[in-house]
Amino acid sequence: MEILESKDHGAVILGLRGRLDASNTVAFEEQVLRLLDSGEQRLVIDMSELEYISSAGLRVFLITAKRLAKTSGKLALSALTEQVREVFDIAGFSSIFQIYPSRKDALTALQ
Amino acid sequence: MSHPATLMLKNDLSELARLCEFIDEFGGRAGLPSKTIADMHLALDEVVTNVISYAYPTFGEHQITIRLAIDADQMVVMEVEDDGQVFDPLTVGAPDLSTPLEERTVGGLGMHLVRQLTDSLDYRRYAGKNHLTMKRKLASREA
Repeated sequence: MEILESKDHGAVILGLRGRLDASNTVAFEEQVLRLLDSGEQRLVIDMSELEYISSAGLRVFLITAKRLAKTSGKLALSALTEQVREVFDIAGFSSIFQIYPSRKDALTALQ
Repeated sequence: MSHPATLMLKNDLSELARLCEFIDEFGGRAGLPSKTIADMHLALDEVVTNVISYAYPTFGEHQITIRLAIDADQMVVMEVEDDGQVFDPLTVGAPDLSTPLEERTVGGLGMHLVRQLTDSLDYRRYAGKNHLTMKRKLASREA
């Protein structure tokens, strides 16, 4: 999996590409926690190129959302692929995350 | 049983990449719909990740055997066999998906996904090994 990090209007955008499973969630978790530890409060995770996610990957999303909720930070997810969307739906995650159709919509929501 | 295929994995998470290739090869050879293959990926990934992460408290190298086939009832049969400690994944309770974010955990989420993506699950312990057999209808399921 690749993680592309960028900044736009004061929000950090992480673009996930490939497959997120138990073999690579540690790298993703470390990158997110480093951002939160450095004080970032607005995070967009662009999932337009994320082809696959397992429960190990869902765990990192949950940790991230809980951490940001404690500091009144904001997390927005964008452009879930059909496959990932189904996993979010079955796992009951679609109702606890802010999910937007595009990165632009997600960024607007965080302003 | 048609299209039988067997894969041996070591108990290391880096082996998930080989599992992934194996499923794609099997799905291609058996001409399975892409949705069926996608469900197989997630179900097998969750079960194998559990085995690698929790079945071997003393570590050391172990072998996990994956067997795939299509049975006479047009079901994809996925069997995972490991020599780890006794563990029946069917005893894992369903997670509460109605709790607010602050109280949400991922405990039981993996097996919840497996149950939703398969049509039958069977666990047996014999010859010192755990055997989990998952079956899923070959054709696409209703969403």
